[in-house]
Amino acid sequence: MIESPDRVAEFKAEVADMRLADPAVSRDRMLLRVGVALLVAGPLLGAVAYLLSHSTENALQQRDAIVVALLGVSLAVVGAALFLRYSVAGFLRFWLARLTYEQKAQTDRLVSAVADVDAVGSEVSSR
Amino acid sequence: MRSRLTVAHPVTEPFDAAATPLLELRGVHAAYETIEVLHGVDIAVPPGSVMALLGPNGAGKSTTLKVIAGLHPPSDGDLVLAGRRVNGASAEDMARAGLCLIPEGRGVFPNLSVREHLRMATYTGTSLSDIEAEAYVRFPPLAKRRSQAAGTLSGGEQQMLAMARAVATRPALLLLDELSMGLAPIVVEDLYARVADIARSGISILVVEQFARTVLGVADVAAIMVQGRISTIGSPNEVAEQLSSAYLGGPP
Repeated sequence: MIESPDRVAEFKAEVADMRLADPAVSRDRMLLRVGVALLVAGPLLGAVAYLLSHSTENALQQRDAIVVALLGVSLAVVGAALFLRYSVAGFLRFWLARLTYEQKAQTDRLVSAVADVDAVGSEVSSR
Repeated sequence: MRSRLTVAHPVTEPFDAAATPLLELRGVHAAYETIEVLHGVDIAVPPGSVMALLGPNGAGKSTTLKVIAGLHPPSDGDLVLAGRRVNGASAEDMARAGLCLIPEGRGVFPNLSVREHLRMATYTGTSLSDIEAEAYVRFPPLAKRRSQAAGTLSGGEQQMLAMARAVATRPALLLLDELSMGLAPIVVEDLYARVADIARSGISILVVEQFARTVLGVADVAAIMVQGRISTIGSPNEVAEQLSSAYLGGPP
């Protein structure tokens, strides 16, 4: 029979090793999308504000348009911040992991080179 | 009215009920869009046991299996495998770990032969000859039909093929959905005798059924599900007592 008696133990080990999607990842993706949406909405509000102020000579309405434009600028700034935070964060994580790996590899190479030099040195001195 | 159903002694080796359950559902809720069909399901399948999940049509039994197999996300509650909460795990990860679902309607490919179906299980690293050897010992009728297309097999043989393919993947937990669907009672009895044989080899089994009589004969633990909730859970004899009220809505 194919079934082995330790299948349950094997199952437990496989479940323990199972990689589960981190809920934080989907939250990051959602915030990245919100950032992009705000980046688009900000300039659109600016354009709307321009049209509002252009279509009237009433100073009060033009001041309202200024408020709308400032709101657009604020949304664009917040959107840019969110976009940078959640797009660059992924890249920076990768970059940090890569840097750590490179540094470790470099250290290993140095240790190996030093060991080689020591081996040659001891061989020369023994002659 | 009390059920006259009598239950044979379980066919599996005694299992350790105190051991960490292989599978546990804790307050699981699930919905199809806005319609909630599971309203807090709690069950536990101890290692090496056969659990029968019974209930009338539309009770949420198949949805429960889909949630366990990673095919439908729970909206609330915990899905725990071997002590680890695995909510959000994909169906592939569940299958890779050793959980195998035989869906309602057998899930065989009508144009593929018996041998081609068994070949699918070779991804586990077991050779086709070993898989065939085991399959034909467990399910002798398949041996004569090894080159025959699955679509031309009888309903019982198709179900045997689905089970043979599942067992060949070396599952730790086998999920069976409505094994008896569309089959004659004598064929169903034969199939459950084979399920008992699979259980003896140490594979834990969770079987979902509408027709309780035969499945209670092979189960160690049984539960009745009604309208998305577990209404009764216990030994097959205890559950047999509650069957008629669960299905017909009358007093126990």
